[in-house]
Amino acid sequence: MQQGKGVERRTVLKAAGASLAVTGLGATATACGGGSGSGDGTVTIRYAWWGAEDRAQRINKTIDLFEKKFPKIKVKTDFQPYPDFWKKFNTQASGGNPPDVFQNAIGFLRKYDAKNVLLDLKEQVKAGNLRMEGFRAGLDRFGEIDGKLLGVPVGSNSMALVIDKPVYARAGITPEMGWTWDDFDEAMARVRDRTGRAGDSGMYGVMYLYDLYLRQNGKAFFTEDGLGFTEADLTQWWTKAEKGVRSGLFADPKKVAQIKPKSALSAELAGSEFTWDNFTVRYTSEGKSEYGLAPIPTTDGKRTGQYLGSLMLSASRRTQHPVEVATFIDFMVHDPEVATIMGYDRGVPATTAQYEAYRPTDPVNKAIAAYEESLVKAGVLEPITPHPNGADICEAAFLRIGEELGLGKRSVSDAVEQFFNESKTALSS
Amino acid sequence: MGTAVTHAPATEGRAKDPEPRHGPDTSPRPADLKRRGRRENLAGYLFMSPWIAGFLLLTAGPMAASLYFAFTDYNLFDAPRWIGLDNFSEMFGDPRWRHSVRVTLWYVIVGTPVKLLVALGVALLLAQKRRGQAFYRAAFYAPSLIGASVSVAIVWKAIFSDDAVVDRTQKVFGIDAGGWTGDPDLIIYSLVALTVWQFGAPMVIFLAGLKQVPRELYEAADVDGAGRLRQFWNITLPMISPVLFFNVLLETIHSFQIFSSAYIVGGGAGGNACGPADGSMVYTCYLYVQGFENSRMGLASAMAWMLLVAVALVTAVLFWSQKRWVHYEEGGR
Repeated sequence: MQQGKGVERRTVLKAAGASLAVTGLGATATACGGGSGSGDGTVTIRYAWWGAEDRAQRINKTIDLFEKKFPKIKVKTDFQPYPDFWKKFNTQASGGNPPDVFQNAIGFLRKYDAKNVLLDLKEQVKAGNLRMEGFRAGLDRFGEIDGKLLGVPVGSNSMALVIDKPVYARAGITPEMGWTWDDFDEAMARVRDRTGRAGDSGMYGVMYLYDLYLRQNGKAFFTEDGLGFTEADLTQWWTKAEKGVRSGLFADPKKVAQIKPKSALSAELAGSEFTWDNFTVRYTSEGKSEYGLAPIPTTDGKRTGQYLGSLMLSASRRTQHPVEVATFIDFMVHDPEVATIMGYDRGVPATTAQYEAYRPTDPVNKAIAAYEESLVKAGVLEPITPHPNGADICEAAFLRIGEELGLGKRSVSDAVEQFFNESKTALSS
Repeated sequence: MGTAVTHAPATEGRAKDPEPRHGPDTSPRPADLKRRGRRENLAGYLFMSPWIAGFLLLTAGPMAASLYFAFTDYNLFDAPRWIGLDNFSEMFGDPRWRHSVRVTLWYVIVGTPVKLLVALGVALLLAQKRRGQAFYRAAFYAPSLIGASVSVAIVWKAIFSDDAVVDRTQKVFGIDAGGWTGDPDLIIYSLVALTVWQFGAPMVIFLAGLKQVPRELYEAADVDGAGRLRQFWNITLPMISPVLFFNVLLETIHSFQIFSSAYIVGGGAGGNACGPADGSMVYTCYLYVQGFENSRMGLASAMAWMLLVAVALVTAVLFWSQKRWVHYEEGGR
C-alpha cells in the first residue's frame, strides 16, 4: 500500500510539474512574441496607422513596393479608426510594446515625448538613413519639438470651409478670401432661408476652427503648457453657438448625432462644415452633391490664422530596428511611386518629389491642390502654435461639451466651466 | 520493503497489549496519518495549482494592484505616485462621474424589474403543460446565451440606429424620433431593451421554482374558492420567493456591471465613448474612459473599488431585506 502511494504521488508530482511547465512555457512564449529578427538577416517591423479600409488598401500597396525594394525588411501592419487607434496605441505603448513605426499628428507629439515613447530621429538623419531635405512649405520642421525630430510629415492639410456647392449657388453666396465673420453669419442665414437647410453643421465644437478664430485675435487655443484663452472668450464663442442652434443657422445637433457616422454635410443637414480640406474626398464618396472648398472667414479682412497641419510618421523609442524604421519612413515620404498610390489621402504630399509625382486629374483632388496653393499665394499661412501634453483630451472634451451645449444638455456657463475643469486636469497630468 | 521489518517489533508489542479486545489495529499511527494527510493535501494543492496560479496571477494579484493604484496617480507610463484619497475626492466632485452614477442607477432600477417581470410572466405561461413547450423554453432562453456578446450589441446598434428597423417602424406610426442610438435620451432605452430581451436566464430559474410549488396547495385553494390572482399572490409568490430573491440579487449585481453593450451601442461614431451627450455613459464606461482614454489608471482603479463597495452594499441591503419577504420552507415559518 505504501508503495502504491509513492507511485501515485510521483505521478501526481509529474503531472503537476508538467502543467506548471506548460504554463511557464506559455508565458515565455508570449514574452518572446515581440522578437522580430530571424537568422537570415531579415527584419520585421510593425507599422500601425488610423484610417479606413480605403486608406489601408493604398498603404498596403505602398508596403508591397517597399518590401520589393528592401527585401530584407518585412512590414507587419495594423490599423483602426482614429479613436480606437489611440486607445490601442496607448495600451501597447504603456506595456512597452508599441509598433516600431506609426502614423502620428501634432496633438500627440508632446504627449508621447513626455512619456518617452517617441524616438528622436535626428540620429538617423545624421547617419544618412533619413533625408529631411526636399520638403515643401517648411514641413520638415513640423515634427520638431524641443530640438528633437519626433515625426516626419507625410502630407499637409489645412482647415477649410467645405461647402455643398449647389446649395451655396442656390443661396447666391460666393465666399472670397478675406470675407469676415459677419459675412459668414449673413451667408448662414441666407442658406437657411433660401435652401431650407442649416448653414453649418456645428462649428462651435471644432477645436481647430476655434484655434483659428483665436489666432485671428492674437491668441491661440493652447500655450506651451495650458489653454491660451479665457472663460470669457469661450463664453462669447458658445453664446453665439447657442443662438445659432436655436435659430437654425447650425444643424440640429440631435439629427447630427443620429446620422453618425455620416457627416451632417453629406447627409444634407447643413450647407457647409469646417474641417480639414482633404475631407472633401470622403464627403464626395459619401454624399450625392458636389463639394468645394471655401476660405476661412476672418476678423480683420486679412488674417485667417491658418497653418498647415500634417499627418506624420513617428518611430518608437523601443524599436530594435531604428535603421530599418528610418529607411521605411524615408521611402514613404520621398518615393515618387508612393505618391501616385496614396494620392491626397493623407493630405498634399510633403516632399516636392512626391508633390510633383502626383498631379491630380479629378476635380476633387485638383480643388484641394488649388486651395492649398491659394493659401500660399495669399500669404495667410502662419507658424503652428504649440500642442501641449493633453491636447488630444482637450480636443475631445471641446467637441463633446460643444455637442452637449448644442443639444441643450448644458447651459453656456455650465459648458464653459466643465470644459475648463476637464482641460485643467488633462493638461496638468 | 524495509517498512515491514521496522514495523515488526511494533506488531510484537501490540500482541502483548493488555487490552487486545479492540481487535487487530489496522489504522496507521497518528504520525503516519498526519504524514499521509499532508501528502494528500500536497497532491490536492498540486492538482489545484493551475487554478491557484491563475487565481493569484490573474485575479488576486491584479485586484491587490488595483487597490494600491486607487490611492495613486498612475498614468500607465510613469511610476504610480501615492496621493492618498485624492482620487476619491476628485470622483465625488466630478459632475461627469455623478452623471454616470445616475445613468447606471436608472438602468439598474428600470431594467432589472422589467426584465424579472417579463421572465416571471413568461415562466408562468410556460409552467403549464402545452404543446411545443420545450421549443418555447429553448427559444426564450436562447437570447440569454448570446445576449452579452459583442456581435449582438453590434446587431442591436444596427437595429436601433437611424433609418433602421426601429426607426422605420416608428415612422409607420407617425413617430419621427429618429434612431435611438443617436439620441441622448433614447439610447438608454435601447440598452434596457437589450437586457430585457435576455430574460431567458431568470425565466429558467423561475420555471424551476414554479415546479417546486406543491400541487396540493392550489387544490386546497380551489376548494376554498380562491381565484387565480389570489392563488398567485398568496401561494405562488411566497413559495417562489427564495427563487425570486436569487434572481433579484443576481440580476441587480449583473446590471451594475453593464459595460460591453453600452460601450458598443453607444460608442464608435464621432469619438464619443458612450453615446451622444454621454447618454449611455454607465459607470463602467466612464471608468474605461478615465483609464484607457485619459490614461488615469489610478482614478479608474478608485472608481472600480467604489463600484465594488456600492454593489456589496446593495447586496447587503437585499440580504437584510429578505427577512421581510422571502419565505424559506424549513424553519422559516
